Amino acid sequence: MTDQASILIIDENHVRAAIIQEGLREAGHANVRWLNETANLLKRIVDIDPDVIIIDLESPNRDVLEQMFQVSRVVRRPIAMFVDQSDSISIRDAMLAGVSAYVVDGLKKERVKHILDMCVQRFEIFSRMEEELHEAKTALADRKVIERAKGILMTAKSLSEQDAYAMMRKAAMDQKRRLAEIARAIVMAEGMLK
Amino acid sequence: MTRMKTIKVGFMPLIDAAIPIAAVECGFAEREGIQIELVRETSWANIRDKLIHDLFDASHMLAPLAVTTSLGVGNAKVPLAVPFGLNANGNCITLSARLYRALEEVLGHPPQNARQSAQALKRVIGRRKASGEPPITFGVVFPFSVHAIIVRHWLRLGGIDPHNDVQFLVVPPPFMVANLSEGVIEGCCVGEPWNSRAVESGVGSIVVFGAEISRCAPDKVLALRDEMAAKEPEAVHRLLRAYRSAARWCQNRENHANLAHMLAQPQYINVAPKTVLNALSGTLAVNRTEGRSMPDFLAFEGDEINWPDPRKARWLYAEIANGLRQDLSASQAEAAASVFRPDLFDAATGNNALPESQDPIGLKFGPAFDSNNLQGYIDALRG
Repeated sequence: MTDQASILIIDENHVRAAIIQEGLREAGHANVRWLNETANLLKRIVDIDPDVIIIDLESPNRDVLEQMFQVSRVVRRPIAMFVDQSDSISIRDAMLAGVSAYVVDGLKKERVKHILDMCVQRFEIFSRMEEELHEAKTALADRKVIERAKGILMTAKSLSEQDAYAMMRKAAMDQKRRLAEIARAIVMAEGMLK
Repeated sequence: MTRMKTIKVGFMPLIDAAIPIAAVECGFAEREGIQIELVRETSWANIRDKLIHDLFDASHMLAPLAVTTSLGVGNAKVPLAVPFGLNANGNCITLSARLYRALEEVLGHPPQNARQSAQALKRVIGRRKASGEPPITFGVVFPFSVHAIIVRHWLRLGGIDPHNDVQFLVVPPPFMVANLSEGVIEGCCVGEPWNSRAVESGVGSIVVFGAEISRCAPDKVLALRDEMAAKEPEAVHRLLRAYRSAARWCQNRENHANLAHMLAQPQYINVAPKTVLNALSGTLAVNRTEGRSMPDFLAFEGDEINWPDPRKARWLYAEIANGLRQDLSASQAEAAASVFRPDLFDAATGNNALPESQDPIGLKFGPAFDSNNLQGYIDALRG
């Protein structure tokens, strides 16, 4: 079953936008467009004339969209934010996930909710991916600095690799700090003593 | 003493967020036994939505937005309470280099004051109309903002009809200079550092300081959900006392160098301290060759600024209705007035004085504002 509601995604993050588009298409929404260029945003929206607008909360352009609510001359069809008191929970969830939706009046609530739920899900998936990437990067950086600190200790104190490592571990445990922090301190101290 | 819960406060990275930031950084909040968690936001729409959906307890907010949100004008209707005003003025009107040159041509010299620049603009608009050029578009930071109101007052000063002779477009402050440069807008009203950015990069010239238009129009305020004000008076009182101490500290010139460094930090505004200091001292380069200085360019403290005068809310309502070309409603005016909550301010601070000034806005041109006669005010505006 395909849904013909026209959905416009405004997101400057290419990866996230791709993930959302894919999700919506898989769910049977064939009419999805993505704007990553936001110059002249209001005019572009008017030209596209979407039923639903999905925008990420990080974008300052949300304030541009506010103009749609008061200036009926600007848009052909009245648009409302997906807010009514009964929807407060899903709005809150959406905001926590980092997304907001605007809907043309008259679109059935269930249809909109379906779209919004999908976007919230995809935003969450993207955040998790980002987090994992960040963790992986940190782990890699930690490993590098630990290796360097180990080398410094080995040279300075004529220690074996194992003993140098043990020395840092002990310092970390005694000071209740992360091993990478100890290693960073060693690397920094070496730089200053050079 | 029982430990108070953490109060989550949303803010936009602007110089007029000084009070909430100083309340945290200088320990005023801690002294009142509260913990404030500051959360930086990217749009006023986010600020509003996170406040009304309980993700923030309080927020730095455009004064008109607190009124429209409470009245349900625009896109949500949730009653808010404004117990504290955060600043007066601090915005400028900046014109694109091309439009500024057109004003100079008309005058034969650079415009010297707000009236002169507006009158010159009127003649430029006339010429452009005659030659079939498109109308001038002004960028403002939000549909409901004191920025939009200031531009309208300035335009009227030159005999320009703000509703028919020009257009308005909402442009987020970080995009203002680019939009001026590309000609999407030809003028804007925005706070610092964005006007200075336009001047520095040769994209525009500052023609008006907001303080030239009004003495103490409400710009940003502290907004809470009405329900929070009712349910947690003790926390609100402490917050207000912390804000008042912070306001005094921010206003004191001796602290401005410290304040500039504090606000300039990456987690707050993320600009050079010098840029912040210029705005705090009210001394700005207005074009490539000239500077201008105005001691009350931006003010944080004073009875006319911090005390949430309901007459100011009535003024905001009148201006909002006028901006939308709507008729005034007595019940809406009352509802607007009740958003500003001097009772909370007084209960928290022990204040029992009423403002001395007859005129809570202090417009320097145009009709005097009488909060008992909104219709008369609007009629005078519409001329």
